Amino acid sequence: MKPRPLSRGATYAFLIAAALLMIAPFLWSISTSLKQPGDVFAYPPRFLPDPVTFQNYVDVFTKLTFGRYFLNSVIVTGSVVILNVLFGTAAAYAFAKLRFPGRDAIFFLLLLTLMVPFQVNLIPLYKIMVELHNAIPPIGADTYFGIVAPSAIQVFGIFLMRQFLRSIPDEILESARMDGASEWRILRSIVFPVARPGMATLAIFTFLGAWNDFLWPLIVTNSDEMRTMPVGLALLARKNASNWGDTMAGTVLTAAPLILMFLVLQRRFIEGLTAGSVKDVG
Amino acid sequence: MTWRRRFRGASAGYLLIAPALAATVLFLVIPMVVSAYWSLTSYNGIKPPEFVGLQNYVDVLGNSRFQKAFENTIAFVILGMGIGPALGLGSALLLDRSLRLRGLFRAAFFLPTMTSLVVVATIWKFLYSDAGIINAVIGFVGLPAVSWLSNPTTALPAVVVTSIWQGFGFETVVFLAALQSIPRTFYEAASIDGAGRWAKFRWVTLPALRPTILFVYVIGIIGSFQTYDQIFVMTNGGPIQATRTIVFDLVDRFNRLDLGGASAVAYILVVFLAILSYLQLRIGEERD
Repeated sequence: MKPRPLSRGATYAFLIAAALLMIAPFLWSISTSLKQPGDVFAYPPRFLPDPVTFQNYVDVFTKLTFGRYFLNSVIVTGSVVILNVLFGTAAAYAFAKLRFPGRDAIFFLLLLTLMVPFQVNLIPLYKIMVELHNAIPPIGADTYFGIVAPSAIQVFGIFLMRQFLRSIPDEILESARMDGASEWRILRSIVFPVARPGMATLAIFTFLGAWNDFLWPLIVTNSDEMRTMPVGLALLARKNASNWGDTMAGTVLTAAPLILMFLVLQRRFIEGLTAGSVKDVG
Repeated sequence: MTWRRRFRGASAGYLLIAPALAATVLFLVIPMVVSAYWSLTSYNGIKPPEFVGLQNYVDVLGNSRFQKAFENTIAFVILGMGIGPALGLGSALLLDRSLRLRGLFRAAFFLPTMTSLVVVATIWKFLYSDAGIINAVIGFVGLPAVSWLSNPTTALPAVVVTSIWQGFGFETVVFLAALQSIPRTFYEAASIDGAGRWAKFRWVTLPALRPTILFVYVIGIIGSFQTYDQIFVMTNGGPIQATRTIVFDLVDRFNRLDLGGASAVAYILVVFLAILSYLQLRIGEERD
């Protein structure tokens, strides 16, 4: 009983056209990544590479350093996800279930920081990292620590997990305490297992954010061997590359992990995304 | 044993939030305060900052490149938000029917949303290139090729298209979920009252979608106010400042060691985002 301004056929036609518009640029970049340099701008355009060559993929790993970028992205993203899930859940548990003076005021102040756009912190943060690096070379600017630290424990994650953990009945926690369990024990044996679906959602979102993050990794790194995939790709693409085959191979490699993950975990992605948006904004 | 016994109640609470609190203070609160201070100084990263009052703000607001960046950013917001959410709502309405392959369409629409802006920008830079596929297609129908990204007239709309393309799936999915949460009985009741298709859309669907529409606009406007990644990859702010945005201006000042000016730009951005959030909050309350 919805408005039906369009016939079924027209609906499908629109949807198929839109789907093609969304997918075609990806297919085109995959196709280009498999072409020889001379075929990239062939006219009329050749939709399928002929002959197929993997030379561009070989090149981005040998002539360029995408192998290193990939490793960096894996290390950075992995650290951000693990740190957020562990520390975010722990803090969320305290905010949701423990009583201590100032709890709600502190939580409110943390929420306020969500209003601050990252660009405000960018430059002082960079200076802090430079100073840190001068004092202690393994950390600070141009290190993994420098890339990861500012997003290691995100308030958004604490907020998400707190909503989730509030649904754990207090009775379970109380009876565990009566049995002499410490808060640490409760966290490990009750909270973490119960919170697993929420932690999975948080992991997905931090993964997405960390893998795609650009401005901060761009600013805080300056040696090629510390670049993450989006930074390496952006610097390659901006050079106005004459060899688009290489650039498209880099594009495919940068996009592939997320797209694969999305295809496997599609439902959880979409549920996680819409859960926060439909009910209310605040 | 003593540690375990102590790790209870209040002290446990503080212990558990301590890492989060420390990280927030170190990497968020302190930089924020420092940035506010620098915006009032003539700091260039080398000589110690010297207090100059509001001079940076005066300079920035009177600077033609900043003004251009500001206009462009507003254009990004208006063009992107004027077109994107409407397309997303349209496609969500089409998908909100008993269709086969709905999941497949939704997944296809969502793919660009999953990928980073850098990837999206790189792909589109290639599509827009002089000998690229877009010019090949328009050449095929007999139109002259356009240098999309190096022509000051087309560069900004061309970048906006990539943003709309990337956001389309997000908007579709969010609107679709909202549409599916509207109880069917609302529509039945409207039918009994003799409402036609348009009346149902106007008086049932739209009011029910209000919080979702607000959500999509809040997220979208805040995001487009911070446009940077696509500009870095596709146009580097050019041609002749045609795609320079506020955040591009900020990073540009940072690169030129005008740290006082860059900090002032950051706080101007904060003020605008705060005003927008306040207005949106008010709109939200007014209608409730």
